[in-house]
Amino acid sequence: MNSFQFPVSSFRLMALCAAMIAMMPMVGLAQKKPAAKAAAHEPAATVIRGGKCLTVSHGTIENCAVVIEGTKITYVGGASGAKAPAGAAIVDATGMTVYPGLIDSETHLGLTEIEADPMTNDLIEKSDEIMPHMHVYDAFHAESALIPVTRLNGVTNAIVAPANGDTLPGQDIFIQLDGREQPDFIVLRDNALPLNFTGEQRRNESFERAKYPQTKMGMAAQLRQTFIETQEYMKKLDDWSKKSDADKAKGSEPKRDLKYEALVPYLEGKKPVVLAAETGSDIDTAVALAQEFKLRFVLNHITHSQKVLDRIAALKVPVIVGPIYEMPYDYERYDAVYSLPAELAKRGVKVAFASYDAHQSRNLPYAAGFSVAFGLPHDEALRALTLTPAEIWGVADQLGSLDTGKTANVVVANGDPLDVKTDVKHVFIAGREIPLESRQTRLRDQYWTK
Amino acid sequence: MTRHFARWAVLLLVGLSTAVAFGQMAIPPKGDVLIKNATLLTVTHGRVEHGSVYVKDGKIAAFGATVNAPAGVTVIDAGGKYVTPGIIDSHSHMALDNDINEATSPVVPHMMMRDAFVYDDKQIYRALAGGVTSALLLHGSADMIGGQAVVIKTKYGMEKEQMIFPGAPQSIKFASGENPKRVFGGKGTLPSTRMGNFAVQRQALLDAKEYMKDWDEYNAKVAKGDKDAKAPKRDLKLEALADVLRGKMLVQIHCYRADELLTEMAMAKEFGYKVRAFHHALEAYKVADKLAENGVAIATFSDWWGYKYEAWDAIPWNAVIAMRKGVKVAIKSDSDDFIRRLNQEAAKTMRYGGATEDEAMKMITLNPAWIVGIDDKVGSIDVGKDGDLVLWSDYPLSSFAVPDKVWIDGVEFFDRSKTGLGMPQMKEAQ
Repeated sequence: MNSFQFPVSSFRLMALCAAMIAMMPMVGLAQKKPAAKAAAHEPAATVIRGGKCLTVSHGTIENCAVVIEGTKITYVGGASGAKAPAGAAIVDATGMTVYPGLIDSETHLGLTEIEADPMTNDLIEKSDEIMPHMHVYDAFHAESALIPVTRLNGVTNAIVAPANGDTLPGQDIFIQLDGREQPDFIVLRDNALPLNFTGEQRRNESFERAKYPQTKMGMAAQLRQTFIETQEYMKKLDDWSKKSDADKAKGSEPKRDLKYEALVPYLEGKKPVVLAAETGSDIDTAVALAQEFKLRFVLNHITHSQKVLDRIAALKVPVIVGPIYEMPYDYERYDAVYSLPAELAKRGVKVAFASYDAHQSRNLPYAAGFSVAFGLPHDEALRALTLTPAEIWGVADQLGSLDTGKTANVVVANGDPLDVKTDVKHVFIAGREIPLESRQTRLRDQYWTK
Repeated sequence: MTRHFARWAVLLLVGLSTAVAFGQMAIPPKGDVLIKNATLLTVTHGRVEHGSVYVKDGKIAAFGATVNAPAGVTVIDAGGKYVTPGIIDSHSHMALDNDINEATSPVVPHMMMRDAFVYDDKQIYRALAGGVTSALLLHGSADMIGGQAVVIKTKYGMEKEQMIFPGAPQSIKFASGENPKRVFGGKGTLPSTRMGNFAVQRQALLDAKEYMKDWDEYNAKVAKGDKDAKAPKRDLKLEALADVLRGKMLVQIHCYRADELLTEMAMAKEFGYKVRAFHHALEAYKVADKLAENGVAIATFSDWWGYKYEAWDAIPWNAVIAMRKGVKVAIKSDSDDFIRRLNQEAAKTMRYGGATEDEAMKMITLNPAWIVGIDDKVGSIDVGKDGDLVLWSDYPLSSFAVPDKVWIDGVEFFDRSKTGLGMPQMKEAQ
């Protein structure tokens, strides 16, 4: 598409600026981050009119309008009060729901294509357990066929994390599910560090082949050793920086170590650690470790934690819960895991959902819906897919609700966003309407001759 | 009066022996119940609003807007909530102790899943709590010709023989494609290709044909009174396959790719047996007209894809496209997770392709019942069928529903409101 087709040529410049800013390395959460990236094509203005808006931040608006200009939402309110910009596309949303794009708080999108084919997988570097210098953006394949499949269900943003086979498998990216080139998809780089303490990180395949760390004790000791060494590394760098030029000329600069370097912002508490633990005892151990080193953390993968829910609530940190489909232990009731989001929410914990998957990331909203069946209030379930994850990932000023000034990631569907029957009719990412096409729709259209 | 007493005495004895056998359980084999004020999704007769269903002696005796039931029968007021027939899963490997692949040879039709069935596996309870009342427990897919399946009712807490579905026909599992070639190719043995797969299958069927011929000839001689006729040596493996050729078994084939669906049907034609259903069948939409022509059903996933190369062309419209072209379609679990929420999986077909309520319900009730060969006994709310019913907390074809109560043969096996496991018949803390 040529730029002259667009009424406001400055969009192109805006988009370019946004892209450049976003590509700058992110240091610290306090820093303002652009959550919108340049779309594949510069968006024109759009008015979505007549639907029921689930704003998440300020309730439901019947017969509402959402106006999108460029990459931003410029109006949310009653349909009668909306002014359509010249040349705006009009989307009739009568009988539909309009809601902010959904955020999946852990996926492997872009790291896998066909699960059983190793050459299409870049999920995890298992050669060592301590791999914080692995950067997901180095493997992220934006052209994955899975991304269009996923966004057709209204998932517009996601955390991409390495698989959980290492205690420190590498650093996440936060993506939007559209763009022209790979960097356009990546909203935040190295924005968080997964720390996995679920037991799957043990190297205990068999007694003969076991290596360190064979146990959870080993995992904890190895992590503690790593953090101490990182602190020493930080001190060395600090000492060096305080030296006078004359002293520096006499000595040699400390050697850079990518592993320790990667951990520095996390030990400084500048970026969040995503602490995954399932059972009460693992949560206790992992949290104690995090507190010992003053890590800023959110909890992840909370599944078999019924006995420590009050302790979790007392931590006052958000929780990425689930997958709620995790099988209960034999001593647990059938709904022990299903009911966790409701039980946590009841205790005032902010919960978010994640698919922990790539191919099934599109089914993210249904986990929230099923949690409603077990007592999670519907509005909290929707918040757990939108504003809460936006807050967790530090992008709530840009994403997570229908509000003027936010990035125009907007979904229009013919029913409840959390229901399996609901069909998504329009998806906007950073203002661009996404064609409702994927590898799967093309196969459908090729073979479904009536 | 005397006869009446005798009946009670028998029931009492059954009850006592049950109590003695398992200590903590007192589960009657059949029950009576009247569920009223329900929205019935009958599957075969559409919806009945404000309906009732009366189960007597374990069988559905009446249903509809008005139902006559004797005084004294247990009455459940559904409060307008939905009642459906019990869900049927036509493809599960639960409660088999992961003992599902005898992968030491690609042809093992004499393996009986019944022998591996772990009747007290907690997973049966979890399936029950998801509204599943019957399931086909199948051999795995490592072998071209795997073993013989077992059909169960999810009467968790009862004895093994009480859980086996009475009168269900025998199913056998075949497989094709990537799994057999990976498993045996990985060991450096035949088969390691699809060519190898089908060569192994054809050879096995040829051997069975010979075996059948030998026995037919022998039996003919005996029938004629030939006392010197020498019986051929019995071979359990070939005997099982001969039963396939004789049409005595329901052939269930694990198969993904369109070309392999066609090859399997051609081979069935060549040897004169029928394929009951293709399982997974993720490319059924490409050759659905051929499946319909041959009367072969499919048991498929709603939207699983991409986990291996032969699942790369899977699309969530598969079920509805196949159905619209005349194929009987079931949504199955093949998973200890998904068996707990097959209702949601069926509901996805309403979104992907526009299945109606009845069509979506059929995919997890009557159609899997047909695949398993028990559709005359379960799969719909019809007079004479088993009293296998689920009361749902919400509209079952949605994200928001969970079974409140489940009855099997008219006996309440699950009640969500109860503490512990929610199993009213089990006395202990469970």
